[in-house]
Amino acid sequence: MKTLLLTTLSAAVLFVSGQAIGAEKSARDIVEQAELNAYYSGDDGRSAARMIITDNQGREQIRQFTILRKDQEDGGVQDMMVFFSRPADVRDTVFRVVKRINDDDDRWLYLPDLDLVKRISAGDKRTSFVGSHFFYEDVSGRNTALDSYEILSEDDEKYVLKGTPKDPGNVEFSYYEVVIDKEHMLPIESTFYNDSGEAYRKMEVLKIETVQGYPTVTHSRISDLENGGKTEMQFRFMKYNLGLPDSIFSERSLRNPPAEWLQLRD
Amino acid sequence: MHDMIVVGVVNENTVYNQKTLTDLHTISNYAESLEGVISDDLMSLANVDNITQKQPGTIRFEWMMKQPPENDAEARYIQQQVEDLPLLYNTIVSGDGKAAAIYVPIESKDESYALAEQLRSKISTLDGSDEWHITGLPVAEDQFGYEMFVQMGISAPLAAAVIFALLWFFFRNVRFISAAMIAAMSTVLITMGALIALGFTVHIMSSMIAIFLMPIAVVDSVHIMSEFSDRYREKGNAKDTIKDVLGHLFTPMLFTSVTSTIGFYSLMLTPIPPVQVFGAFVGSGILLAFLITVIFVPAYLCALKPSTLESFVQMTHEEHKDSWLQKIGTLAARHAKLWIAFFLAVLTFAWFGIQQININDNPVRWFKPDHEVRIADEVLNDHFAGTYNAYLVFESTLDATEKARAAVRDALNNDALSAESRDALSALLEQEQEQMNFNQWIIAIDDLLFSVGSDQLEPLKGLMTKLEQLNSASKAFQSPELLAYMSEMQAYLQTTGLVGKSNSLSDVVKTVNRELRSGEKKDYKLPDNANGVAQILLQYQSSHRPQDLWHFVTPDYKRSLMWLQLTSGDNQHVTKVVNAVDSYIQDNPLPANIKMDWAGKAYLNVVWQEAMVEGMLDSLISAFVVVFIMMVLLFRSVVFGVLAMLPLSLTIAFIYGLIGWVGKDYDMPIAVLSSLTLGLSVDFAIHFIERARATFKQTGNWKDTLVVMFDEPARAISRNAIVIAIGFTPLLLAPLVPYITVGVFLASIMAISAIVTLIMLPAVMTLFSRLIFRGGQS
Repeated sequence: MKTLLLTTLSAAVLFVSGQAIGAEKSARDIVEQAELNAYYSGDDGRSAARMIITDNQGREQIRQFTILRKDQEDGGVQDMMVFFSRPADVRDTVFRVVKRINDDDDRWLYLPDLDLVKRISAGDKRTSFVGSHFFYEDVSGRNTALDSYEILSEDDEKYVLKGTPKDPGNVEFSYYEVVIDKEHMLPIESTFYNDSGEAYRKMEVLKIETVQGYPTVTHSRISDLENGGKTEMQFRFMKYNLGLPDSIFSERSLRNPPAEWLQLRD
Repeated sequence: MHDMIVVGVVNENTVYNQKTLTDLHTISNYAESLEGVISDDLMSLANVDNITQKQPGTIRFEWMMKQPPENDAEARYIQQQVEDLPLLYNTIVSGDGKAAAIYVPIESKDESYALAEQLRSKISTLDGSDEWHITGLPVAEDQFGYEMFVQMGISAPLAAAVIFALLWFFFRNVRFISAAMIAAMSTVLITMGALIALGFTVHIMSSMIAIFLMPIAVVDSVHIMSEFSDRYREKGNAKDTIKDVLGHLFTPMLFTSVTSTIGFYSLMLTPIPPVQVFGAFVGSGILLAFLITVIFVPAYLCALKPSTLESFVQMTHEEHKDSWLQKIGTLAARHAKLWIAFFLAVLTFAWFGIQQININDNPVRWFKPDHEVRIADEVLNDHFAGTYNAYLVFESTLDATEKARAAVRDALNNDALSAESRDALSALLEQEQEQMNFNQWIIAIDDLLFSVGSDQLEPLKGLMTKLEQLNSASKAFQSPELLAYMSEMQAYLQTTGLVGKSNSLSDVVKTVNRELRSGEKKDYKLPDNANGVAQILLQYQSSHRPQDLWHFVTPDYKRSLMWLQLTSGDNQHVTKVVNAVDSYIQDNPLPANIKMDWAGKAYLNVVWQEAMVEGMLDSLISAFVVVFIMMVLLFRSVVFGVLAMLPLSLTIAFIYGLIGWVGKDYDMPIAVLSSLTLGLSVDFAIHFIERARATFKQTGNWKDTLVVMFDEPARAISRNAIVIAIGFTPLLLAPLVPYITVGVFLASIMAISAIVTLIMLPAVMTLFSRLIFRGGQS
């Protein structure tokens, strides 16, 4: 009864203050739900990723790595380790990320053959992730608080939202459109537009699998619409709720990877 | 690397100020948005990354200038950052800080003029006081092409006007000279029409076809009309006169046309398609002009009213009184020995001049010194390490394909593998591929590794390890030794003073390594091992511009490029650089299994020039031989054949000697002219000798022949020389240097070969009259 009253009340407020706020609120709800599903499934997780980077001349590179992730809280602080296994010459290179919501992420890097642990300065996260068409931000998830959203359209299967950066000076896009699949509440396509309103970059989800009850993107692609070239990323051996100990998300693991947690074959 | 337009901004004090950098930002973004620009590879302060250490122990990639600076202090901060990055310093901002550049890579050089124009108009909307310049070889060449079209529209009609005026001066009758003009015009129109109809593009060379054909096409008409006006009085009616005129002009006219045609056709022997097209069409145009002239002009003259002809002959005959031509003839005959001594002296003079000929070219120099392209070139190369780019391409010749296949075959021998695994591996061996694609193989085996039972792991893992080792080994340019070799070569090239700056993969690795470590100079060095290089480059690829790495190396690390910035695009300069590299390699051999080659427009121009010079020499020699054989056949006499070749040999030797003495570079336009001068300058000799022989038959002695020769025949020759020489002079007004060169060159050839013919031939014939006219006297 109380809830109903509140709803009626807020509906009345909305009616007075205009439609926009209501639209923004529900658009934000959709986006935040999608973010949780895309980046925070389970309490922790592991997956083996393989990227095939193809440049506009059709030349390929591969990157293979295993990601370990542990959420401190859903939608909040998250620990992440990325262990590279291919190409062989960058094997054992490791990234460690502590993702924060209200502050800059902490990022470290270990380069085995330079015997170097390096802090990566906070700053622009829209730089290439190891030479692929994915940005760091695409791997760790763009903070939804950085953009404002509106619903462009909605049908039985999907929402189409428009995201506009609150601080356009920090990003290379002017706005983006994201398609969120209603069944899994996962973003399945994002198209980025430049200042002239041309689409220049596109993320597409090519395959979703349900793992331990969690809908999981297992194959996606980012294409450079302007100059050509694309990166496909496939995930295998996904596993959730492994019970990863906090201790492995540490500087120690950079030089001494936690082998037992990286064993993909059972 | 693509061809690049270089846009430069110069500020007298420093470009590191809020206004200049804001304008630079505007133009850079504008350039990126243009169709035909490869925006991904565009380089300017506004879109490159700064690799830096934000705090000690941290590395950071950030845009150098994502937004224009808000004040001069921010601009100065950018200065500090740039000066710390060897790849950018003195490349996108000049060493003195007074100039900044935007390197605009373009899809096709044919668009560079249009793109440059768009950039110019955008620049004109800026309200700053900075100087802006646009340069680069593609702009120079394409802009030249454009201006050439403009010139074709001006020079060709102007040449027609000048020729018309000259003809009027000689014949004083518009209706009469219209015959020559109609013949010339229709020749030009038909030839150009055929060129376009056959689908050839009208480019730099072929735009010259019109202006070449115009003067040459009137030559035969002038001979006919000149002789016609002399004989009409005698015969009294047009039909008989024209029969008579054509009777003894047909053969020399045919032969002069054919020899000129051969001169131009010989250009088809050069290895350069545009020059071949030019030669083919001008050559055919000349034959067409001959056909039109011998068919149309007589018909036209016969159709004129007798009264018109009468008044015309009256008018022109007045001038025949002056006897300066006769004087030349007498002079030539009287001091024959002296003249021959003089010509021999000229030949000696020419010989020494030819030794000094300087073979050089640079498309930028095709513009006059006050042209914007030329100024831009000068200003920007003054500030920067060089806007001319040459590239050294290093390539590993090791092919790991066989070893990889052997490894797979080896694994197939293992009994542990299941039938499915065998099929998967066999499929790899069956692939037809030009180059080993390790990535594909590794992915395939990786997939297998995760799908097979543990009993098969051993052999597959073994194979994987083997393939990975082969793959790593095949990435030649991750080797620190090889990178060090490149660095040393760069250091050497810097000491030669020929190269403004060089950039290579080695510089990239060192810079990123430095920033990964202390950020200080002591760490500007290569790592110890190849994996270290790979890991450094993985970091370099984590910037906003991962694709920049592929400017310097291919993704398989088998080819790597060294970018040399040169302050001069002169072929000679580039040749010196090529020689410096060659001698360095001589003393410091390339590492095993590495080969090196050149690329880039500046270098291509050198290759082109060499091909050109060689091709021109070939075509000159073959044209000379063919013309000589034709002369022998025409006169059915070796002696007369030799005689006919004398004036043109001396003329060509003299002209090239003069070029050598004056110090004018032997460049593309001059090279093109060399063989066709031959075809043109033999004309006078043909007419002179043919007529001299015919006359000798009538008079029976050389003295009387000489008198006759220096009446009508000499007049026709000198008229023609004047028509062609002056017909080319409108070219002198062009703002483009090659046009002027062609104008001066052809005018001099005509004038000199006419003079040489009219003096040398009588002198030699007088001296050797007994030998020469042996047949005639018997």
